[in-house]
Amino acid sequence: MTLKKVVVFFLVIFLIKSCAKDVDFNQLDDASIQTTYLSTLLFSNFDAPKFLNEFNEEITVSTDFIEAPIADDSKPYLEKVEFTIITNNTFDRSFVFHVIFYDDFGTPIYTLNPILIIPKNTSKLTSIIEIPQNDIHFLYDTRYFGFTLSLSTSTDGSVLLASNTSTLELKSFVKLFFNF
Amino acid sequence: MRKLQIVCFFVFTISYSQNKQVLYDFASLPQTLMLNPGAEVDYNWHVGFPLLSQVSVQGGFTGFSTYDIFADNGIDINDKLRAAVTNYGKSEFISLNQQIEVLNVGFRLPNQDYISFGYYQEFDFLAKIPRDLVDLFYDGNTIIDRRYSIKKLATRAELLGVFHIGISKKVNSKLQIGARAKLYSSVFNVNSKLNKGSLYSEEGTNNSYNQHLENIQFMMQTSGIFFEPGTEFDGSYVKKKLLLGGDLGFGLDVGFTHHLKKQWEINGSLQDVGFVYHTKNIQSYKLKGNYMVEGFQLNFDPANPQEYWNDLKDEFNNSIVLDTLYKNYISFRPIKFNGAVKYSFGQKQDDCRFLIEPDTYLNKVGFQLFSTVGAVHSYMAATLFYERRISKNLQTKITYTADPFSFTNIGFGLSTQLGLFNLYVVADNLLSLNNIYNAKSASVQLGINFIGKHKK
Repeated sequence: MTLKKVVVFFLVIFLIKSCAKDVDFNQLDDASIQTTYLSTLLFSNFDAPKFLNEFNEEITVSTDFIEAPIADDSKPYLEKVEFTIITNNTFDRSFVFHVIFYDDFGTPIYTLNPILIIPKNTSKLTSIIEIPQNDIHFLYDTRYFGFTLSLSTSTDGSVLLASNTSTLELKSFVKLFFNF
Repeated sequence: MRKLQIVCFFVFTISYSQNKQVLYDFASLPQTLMLNPGAEVDYNWHVGFPLLSQVSVQGGFTGFSTYDIFADNGIDINDKLRAAVTNYGKSEFISLNQQIEVLNVGFRLPNQDYISFGYYQEFDFLAKIPRDLVDLFYDGNTIIDRRYSIKKLATRAELLGVFHIGISKKVNSKLQIGARAKLYSSVFNVNSKLNKGSLYSEEGTNNSYNQHLENIQFMMQTSGIFFEPGTEFDGSYVKKKLLLGGDLGFGLDVGFTHHLKKQWEINGSLQDVGFVYHTKNIQSYKLKGNYMVEGFQLNFDPANPQEYWNDLKDEFNNSIVLDTLYKNYISFRPIKFNGAVKYSFGQKQDDCRFLIEPDTYLNKVGFQLFSTVGAVHSYMAATLFYERRISKNLQTKITYTADPFSFTNIGFGLSTQLGLFNLYVVADNLLSLNNIYNAKSASVQLGINFIGKHKK
């Protein structure tokens, strides 16, 4: 009799108690893990000779390129890219800085907007440039990033001298906003 | 894809520890000899039902339960995820242990020593996940000067077959000792431990931020995981590896039972004091170094174009060196310690209050301690138990256990003996039975034995 009672008791425990409260795995469709990664990016610190050629003539346009193939594993999750550029310009001249994305064939496919205008004599100017979600695919199609720095013409007719102690400082980082 | 990984993680977070607190020292089952070779058994022979004498699955995750995330309670899943991450400890671990006894046979020698031997297959997995990596995954790395450390990151996984033979010997009326020798045959092994180093960003001088990989030391040893291209696998491959065709090792269990007084007893055991020497399909990875990046310093010098990306890669590869090693290595099995002190009371009497079985007590209460010590992770569990012999054919045991998974782990065991036929079932975390998704751990062992000729 005792044995029967014990068996019945545990059958009740297992068959009635052994259950699961409501869970809904479909909630996963609403799950959103929004993660932001920060990466340091470009920097430069130029003095006057950088903008002069061997004849001490002004170089008004300077360009540089970075070949950086970007793996597209993260493409479905990347929602926003935000570049932060901090400049410090002690020159009595303004600069224009812009970034163009090139594909495998060297064809320009995207220009980072707005183009950055660095006014003369400005200390610690922070600019944030965002690639909107609809344009993010350009990032993954890019093979080369092209950078152009343009020295504006003087308003008073003066020219840069090698002895000029002014500097143009450029710092930057990027924030990548993912939604997994 | 990442969401799929997350749901798989949550659903399978009922992970497995190696504490068999209900089965330990329960009802003189043959399987108690596997947990304590110095356990006392009172029969002359036993034969486990092949493949069914012990099927054991144990698992747990100390972080949070499936129900914490997927409860259908009207709370936004993102709030639940945030709460789970907020409550995550400095490091949590997920573990899984599964054993199947293929063969378990024992018999009593004329000198009353009890010999038992057999073979079982075991899969063991444990991963220790530091909070820093969870934060890095969930929140990213935008907190400046926050160090994301891999110090507590560790894992082990192995599949092996174990041949064993043990003896339980009565030294005198108070003391029983035992030992079991084990021969391991490992199919595969992965382990990563003693990792250290961190990732962080700090305010920079030349650029806004400098980013560091500081003092990175990561090591992962593998055997039986990577193979020559074209290697074919089928069931016979695993079978061969499990049956002495794998990497071999040796281990020892020792144990004792000591009767302090007639009703007081202490017992204890050490299991798996042993190692496996890995020699087949070895491929290990060692990552070491320091690295700091400020970013790309643009020169705007067309006369001297820079290969910024390649230079960065080269600098990284020179700073953080990845070595692939093919050197044999030894892995130590996680050592398990079990100990118990128990008090027996209550004897069966007939209607005239005469003792029916003078040496047999109906009730046992006591305290058990379990600890596993391994290179990857160690933890302890404490158990209070009450064992009741309900009838000649039926014994039960109820346990309360506090361990890293839970402080409310109630377990129950049932062993029935009908003639030669013995059936036992033990399980724990019964309080979670009304909502299995809320369990952070679970453990089930069941089996069938044929046990013969009780001495009494």
